[in-house]
Amino acid sequence: MKIFWAFTRQAFHGSTVYRFEFWMRLFFVYMLMYSIYWVWTTLYTQTPGAFGVSLEQMVTYGILGMALEIFLDVGPEWYITTQVRTGAIDTDLMKPLDFHLHMLARSAGEMMFSLGVLALPSFAIGYYLFDLRLPGDMTTSLLFAVSLIFSFFVFFHISFLLGALTVITLDIRSISWAYYSLVSFFSGQIVPLWLFPDLLRKISEVLPFQAIYYIPMSIYIKTLSGGAALQALGVQVFWAIVLVLFSRWAWSRVHARLTIQGG
Amino acid sequence: MIQVEHLTKDYQRVKRREGFLGGVRTLISPQYETTRAVDDISFRIEEGELVGYIGPNGAGKSTSIKMLCGILVPTSGKIEVNGLVPHKERMVNARQIGAVFGQKTQLWWDVPVIESLRLFRDIYNVPEAQFKRNLNLFNDLLDLHEFQNTPVRQLSLGQRMRADMAAALLHNPRILFLDEPMIGVDVVAKERLRVFIKEINRDQKVTALFTTHDMVDIEKLCSRVMIIDHGRVVYDGSLDQMRTQYGKDRTLVVEFEENIPDFVPPHAALVKSEGRKKWFIFNRFETSPSTLIAYISSQFPIVDLAVEEPEIEKIVRTIYQGNTGETEGKHA
Amino acid sequence: MNAITLYFRLIRVAVQSRLQYRADFLTGIIGVIVLNVINVGLIGILVSRFRHLNGWTLWEMVFLYCLWLLGHSVYSFFFWHIRALEDYLVEGTFDQFLIRPASPFVLFIGREVQYLGVADLIFAVSGLSLAYRNLDLQWNGTQWLFFGLAIIAGALIETTLSLMIACLSFWTGRARRASNLLIQINMMVQFYPVDIFGYTFRVIVTGLIPVAFMNYYPALMLLDKLDYSSAWWWLGYMSPIVALLLVGITAGVWHLALRRYSSAGG
Repeated sequence: MKIFWAFTRQAFHGSTVYRFEFWMRLFFVYMLMYSIYWVWTTLYTQTPGAFGVSLEQMVTYGILGMALEIFLDVGPEWYITTQVRTGAIDTDLMKPLDFHLHMLARSAGEMMFSLGVLALPSFAIGYYLFDLRLPGDMTTSLLFAVSLIFSFFVFFHISFLLGALTVITLDIRSISWAYYSLVSFFSGQIVPLWLFPDLLRKISEVLPFQAIYYIPMSIYIKTLSGGAALQALGVQVFWAIVLVLFSRWAWSRVHARLTIQGG
Repeated sequence: MIQVEHLTKDYQRVKRREGFLGGVRTLISPQYETTRAVDDISFRIEEGELVGYIGPNGAGKSTSIKMLCGILVPTSGKIEVNGLVPHKERMVNARQIGAVFGQKTQLWWDVPVIESLRLFRDIYNVPEAQFKRNLNLFNDLLDLHEFQNTPVRQLSLGQRMRADMAAALLHNPRILFLDEPMIGVDVVAKERLRVFIKEINRDQKVTALFTTHDMVDIEKLCSRVMIIDHGRVVYDGSLDQMRTQYGKDRTLVVEFEENIPDFVPPHAALVKSEGRKKWFIFNRFETSPSTLIAYISSQFPIVDLAVEEPEIEKIVRTIYQGNTGETEGKHA
Repeated sequence: MNAITLYFRLIRVAVQSRLQYRADFLTGIIGVIVLNVINVGLIGILVSRFRHLNGWTLWEMVFLYCLWLLGHSVYSFFFWHIRALEDYLVEGTFDQFLIRPASPFVLFIGREVQYLGVADLIFAVSGLSLAYRNLDLQWNGTQWLFFGLAIIAGALIETTLSLMIACLSFWTGRARRASNLLIQINMMVQFYPVDIFGYTFRVIVTGLIPVAFMNYYPALMLLDKLDYSSAWWWLGYMSPIVALLLVGITAGVWHLALRRYSSAGG
C-alpha cells in the first residue's frame, strides 16, 4: 500500500505543464464552455420545455462537463502504447508493484495534479464567467465528490483496457478515436442521457460509460438525489468492481503474451 | 577540409523548478539559465583524415557535429567545411556531406532499402552511372544485394547499419560524419563496417569524423583522436602521442620458475600476484623494461615475461578525470 | 529536383509504406466511420428534439458537417503527421531533414500519408450527396466552382492552423495537447452553425482561429442562406482568401521556427 502511494506521489511531483501549453489549455477550455453555453441557451430559448430541466441546471451540466474533461483526461493508454512500442515496458514490468496498480497509482497522481493545476482554474472560469452553479448543500457536494472518485476509477479502467488491447493490435490511433467518441457519447458528457431517444437511452443504461460523466454530473445538478443518487453510486461501484476484475484478467492474458513473444 | 576556430555554442533553457509549487511558479515567471555546450574549440582536419571524436555523453560532441552539418548556428567563432560556412550555405554544404546516425536510421522504415536509395539518388541528383557504380561497390563491400529488397523494419541491426552507410555515401560526399554507427552491432558485423570505412577513406579520400565509445574502433581506424569534454578539446593528436604523453605506466608480467615470495623491485610496484606470475607496474620514464627485467632475473630465474601497454580506455579515462576544471591538456 | 517533383516523389514512397499495413486498413476505416456516425448521431438527437437549430434543419446541419469533413479528409490524408512534429524533433528525424539539399518543409510534409482520410472522404461525399438531394439544391456553374474552391480552402485552413500549432513544439517541446484541443474546438464549431453563438465567439472563429471558414461561411453561400442586406454578407465568399492569408502567415511561422531550431537546438 505504501508503495502505491509512493508511485502516486512520484507521478504528482513529476507532472509538469509547460507555460504556453497551460495558457493554451485554459483558453480552449474557455472556448468549449462558451460554445456549450450558447448551444444550450439558444435551444432553450427556442423550445424551453424540451429539456426537462431548468436552464441553469442545463448550463451547469454542460459547463461542468468541460471542466471535468480536463481532469479526467489522464488515461494510461498512451503511456502503455508508447512503452510497448519502444520496448521500455520491460522496465515497468520489473517494478516492485503489480502493473495494474502501478498504472493506477500513476494516473491517480497525474489526476490530482491536473485537479489542482487545470481543473480548479477551469472550474473558476465556469463559475465566474459562465453561470456554473454550486451545489449549495453539503450532502450533494459530498455525494458528488465520492461519485467523482468512482468516475475516475471507471474512466481509468476503460483507458487501461484500451492500452492492453493496443499491446496486441499495435495501431492505436483509429481505435482510440472511435473508442473515445463512443465513450463520450454514451457517457452523457455533452448531450445528457435523458435527452436520448428511448432505444439509445436503454443502451446507455447497460453500459459503464454513464458512470464517468452522467452520474456525477446528475448528482451535482440534483436530477439524481436522495435514494436515486445512492442507487446511482451503487451503479458506479458495480462497474468499478467489474472493470477492475476484467482489467486484471485482461492484463494477465496480455502479460503472458508479452513475456512469451518478447517485445 | 574542416576548419574550426574559437567555436562556441550556448543554449538558453527555462529552469525547471522542482515539485508542484515550483511548477506553478515556472508557469507565472520562468527563469532562464545558460549552458555552454561548446567552449572555444579550434581544430583543423585535412582532406582524407579519419579522426576519432570521443568524449563523455553531454560533452558537446553532437552539438559540434550539428554545427558542422549546418543544423545549428554557432554562438561565436569561425567554422568552415571545404570553404563553406555550413549554417549559411546549408543546402550546398549538404551535397558534400554524408551522415550516419547509430541511434536513428535515415531510411524509410516500411519500404525496401533500394527504394530509399533510389529516393536519395533523386534528392541528391546522382547521375545514373554513378548510382550504379556505387551500388556495385556496396554489393562488393557490404553485400547490399543480399537485403536490398527487404523493408528496413525487417533488417537486423548490422544490416541496417550497412544500409545506412550505403545511403550516406550514395552521393559521394567529401566528408562523412559517423555518430556512434556501431552501437549495438555484433563483433563480426562491426569488423565488416570498419573494413568498409577504411576502404572508403583510403580509396575515395573521404574525410571522416567518427564518434564512438568503443576504443577498439579508434585503435583500428583512426590515426588521430580528438577528445572533447565539457565543451572543450582536451586532447588532439595521434594515438601514439597519446600513449606517449599519458600512458606513463607499463605493466610487466613475469612468470617465475617457481613460487617466490612477493617483493618490490626499485622504481616499480607489485600490483598482483597469482601462483608463479607477478604483475609489476612501473613508470617508463623512471626506468626501462630492460633495467627492470635485468634486476628481476638477477634475483630469480624467469620462465616467461610480457610488457603490457596501458589500454587506450584507461588513458582516456585519465584524461577525462584530469579535465575537471583544468585548462591544460590541449595539444594540437 | 524542384519542390513539387520532390513532394510527389516522397508521397509515392509514403503510399508504398502505407500499403504494407493492409490489416490495419479495415479496422481503421471502420473506426473512422463509427466516429462519424456518432457525430452525426449527436446532431440527429438534438435536431429531432428541437426540430431545428436557429433555423438550420437536419439536412442543412448534415451538409454543414460533411462540408467540413470533406476539407478535413484531404488534410487527414496528406498532412495528419503534422501533429508528429514534436516526435520528429525529439527523435532526431527532423535533423535528418536539415542535412539534405532540399527544403526541410517539403521533406517534412511529404513524409507520410494516412489512409484514414479516405474513410472521411467517403462519408463526407455520401453525406453531401444525400443532403443535396434532400434539400432540393440546384447549383449553377459558379456555385459548383465555389464548392470546389471551398473544399481546397477548407483543407488549407485546417492544415495551416495545425502546422502553426505543431510549430509550438519548437519553443515549448510539446504541442500535442494544444492540437488535441484545437481538434475539439473544431468539432464543436463544425457541428453547430456559428450563428447560434454569441458575438465574441463568432469573432474568434472568424477572425482569430478562422475555422468557421471551413464550412459555415461557404455553406451560407451554397445553401442560399446569405443575408445580402447584412453588412457582412461578403464573408460567405471569403474562404479562399482566408486560406491564402493563412498560408502566408504559416510560411512566416515556419521560417521563425527553423530559425529558432538552428539557434536553440533540440
